[in-house]
Amino acid sequence: MERTSPGVKRIFGMTPKELRGRLQQALLYVLVIIVAVYALFPFYWAFATSFKTENEMFQTASYLPRNPTLQNYQYVFRGGSFLLALRNSALVSSAASIFALVAGSFAAYALGRLRFRGRVVLLYVVLSMTMFPAISILSGLYTIVRQLGFFGTGLSLLVTYPVFTLPFTVWVLTSFFKGLPAEIEQAATVDGCTPFQTFRLILLPLTAPALVTTGLLAFVQSWNEYLFALNFTATNPSAQTVPVALALFSGEFSEQEPIAEIMAAAMVVTIPLVALVLFFQNRIVEGLTAGAVKG
Amino acid sequence: MSYAADPAQNKLQISAVSLAMMAIGALAIVFFILTVANDEAIQLALNWTPSEEDPQVPSFLLIYLERFGIIVSALFAFLGAAFIVIGRRLRGGNIRVAYWARIAILWLGMGLAAYIALTVFNFVNSAAMDREAVDLAGMSAAIAPAAIVTLIAFGLWYWFDRNIDRLFRGEDSLRGRETRLAWNLLIPTLTIFVLVAARPLEQTFVRSLTDKRFAGGAVPQFVGLENYLNLLTFRIDTVACRKSVTDGPCDTRANGSIRWESIDRELLRAGYRTIVNIPVGGDQSAAISGLDDDFIEAIITTVIFTVISVALELLIGLFMAMVVNSKFRGRGAMRAVMLVPWAIPTVISARLWELMLKDTSAGIFNKILLDLNAIEAPLAWLSDPSLQIPTAIIVDVWKTAPFMALLLLAGLQVIPGDLYEAASVDGANPIRRFFSITLPLLRPAIAIALIFRTLDALRVFDLFNVLFGRQQLSMATYNFETLVSNQQDGYASAISVIIFIFISVFAFIYVRLLNVES
Repeated sequence: MERTSPGVKRIFGMTPKELRGRLQQALLYVLVIIVAVYALFPFYWAFATSFKTENEMFQTASYLPRNPTLQNYQYVFRGGSFLLALRNSALVSSAASIFALVAGSFAAYALGRLRFRGRVVLLYVVLSMTMFPAISILSGLYTIVRQLGFFGTGLSLLVTYPVFTLPFTVWVLTSFFKGLPAEIEQAATVDGCTPFQTFRLILLPLTAPALVTTGLLAFVQSWNEYLFALNFTATNPSAQTVPVALALFSGEFSEQEPIAEIMAAAMVVTIPLVALVLFFQNRIVEGLTAGAVKG
Repeated sequence: MSYAADPAQNKLQISAVSLAMMAIGALAIVFFILTVANDEAIQLALNWTPSEEDPQVPSFLLIYLERFGIIVSALFAFLGAAFIVIGRRLRGGNIRVAYWARIAILWLGMGLAAYIALTVFNFVNSAAMDREAVDLAGMSAAIAPAAIVTLIAFGLWYWFDRNIDRLFRGEDSLRGRETRLAWNLLIPTLTIFVLVAARPLEQTFVRSLTDKRFAGGAVPQFVGLENYLNLLTFRIDTVACRKSVTDGPCDTRANGSIRWESIDRELLRAGYRTIVNIPVGGDQSAAISGLDDDFIEAIITTVIFTVISVALELLIGLFMAMVVNSKFRGRGAMRAVMLVPWAIPTVISARLWELMLKDTSAGIFNKILLDLNAIEAPLAWLSDPSLQIPTAIIVDVWKTAPFMALLLLAGLQVIPGDLYEAASVDGANPIRRFFSITLPLLRPAIAIALIFRTLDALRVFDLFNVLFGRQQLSMATYNFETLVSNQQDGYASAISVIIFIFISVFAFIYVRLLNVES
């Protein structure tokens, strides 16, 4: 609406409606900045610390490094074992999240859309995997990993990580499947789809945002997991994941923790994850479900 | 069909398949019994002769439960019996039985194929480690029996696939089809459940009834419920406050808290330690004492930590999700930025916070607060007991609010936009729209985020371990300390079981209250 009626009062050359829109926009940006500062300040601190010298750790905190140095980064990449750990982490986490998505979406479809006896009990069975601390099952898992012959390899993590990625994936996807209208299946059945075809060709694409979200969360959880990785891969340097490599390289110093080096490593570890999130966020097509469900 | 429908020949085929299934079922049970009988540890326990160094006889039952357990035994018995029953009922010619038989055969084949792949992997792997050629003869001998049964299984499956509609009669219902598909889809998840959750947990439960030491050579013995009694016994006594002046006021400490008399010396000698004194009036207090005061304190700490941090995470997470769900430039980047705290491994972020919370002006938090004149002297965030739980909450909220936010964002995205448009047209203001559209439609996402965050917070480990070590224990770090530092495997297992029961009761009530399963 370009033209406004002459009776409307103008403030700063804008009608009240325009002004309200502008103010809302400004408020939104203020909120965005608050969220950004909240999320990023500690990250910035790690970033700044990664360029500081070890001596500066004991002086009054400063927002910028006094004598910026790259030696922490050189230390991280020295010997190449950290790059190997990055590669191991990437492999294990991708495989673990893909497995969680495949097995999880199968189970979620069964639990969310199919009618059969024992459904509720099975939901609890899946949830029960999250009801004990990982330390409770550590020695039991150690035995199983040994029996399978996976000790000291990435496969040991691949079989044990579902204990935390799977329950979560199953529950989130079950809830998404349940939220889709019942007409979808009826229409698909009329069109001659088998239940599995309905799942694969119609329901799965509809839950794409939930799949990407749970996949990302499973990936990050696997990427950050420490206890299992330490116990099952620490003995084999070529199978160590990033958190283990980090923990072990801080042990190389006996006198003090190389905190600036750890922060440099934290930068190297976190930036690929942020890039990954950026990559996938752009692929979540907005309103994908809204449009499809309506029709 | 090209071939003749000879009734006698059809009957013969069904009989053969039925017999094969029954044989597989019986074979599975026999195989399990033979494996148990030939197991090294079991043999050792059965042929035990007490000697000078090891006077204690190992318990056969204990070793059986550790090595095989109830779950695996029950699974073999159940699956073996299922094959026999299905095989027998196949002769009735009912198509539903035939469908179930086909599923059982298919998964048997897949399971055995996985077993063969694993065996091959192990042979190749151990050869590579010893830098030798793969022991082909040994490998073939190890996989031959499984390979034969696998071939039979896939043969049977192929037979079912070709003949099921021709040879079997009866009505198949939609309900039956859905049930079969559901179980097919759930098998991967259930296999994982048994392998990495149920089985290890069962072993933990068995150990909780023993006096097993961690990494110790002594033969563990059953001790019944002793570990549990030690963990859970508590008593309530009334004790008076200390008075330096007779009939004067109660003595107080520097921070104003009342000094109470300790409980009876006899009780102290029996191992009771007071956890908390609750004043009941008249210079008296109820002293709650337990045999393991650390554990009960850890439970209290963990519950307080969980309630406050999850509530804050929900509020902040919802706020973040709503902000990044609005339309503005750079939204995609903001969504990635929002996830940064969650993306930093806890091992590192706990160190980072340790650095930021240093108790001198070298810690940025103290420096900011000093610059703002909010405090006069640097605070000891990590070592002052009254600041430890708030500190843990701050760090946990910072780290996991993005997790909540991402889940809620996914929920927000599936709310159709035209609902808001319709509400706007009807004149609903943003606050009305939030409470009448967003919140109700977001309920399932909120419920799930709450359940998982709460269960995670109750199990908190990394954070407490890195920030406080043994100074401030959560349930999981107490469990860890008992196992690793005190080497008490049996006792630590009992702690695990109590935590499991505690959390599952909590989870059950929680899920019911949030009403997500219906």
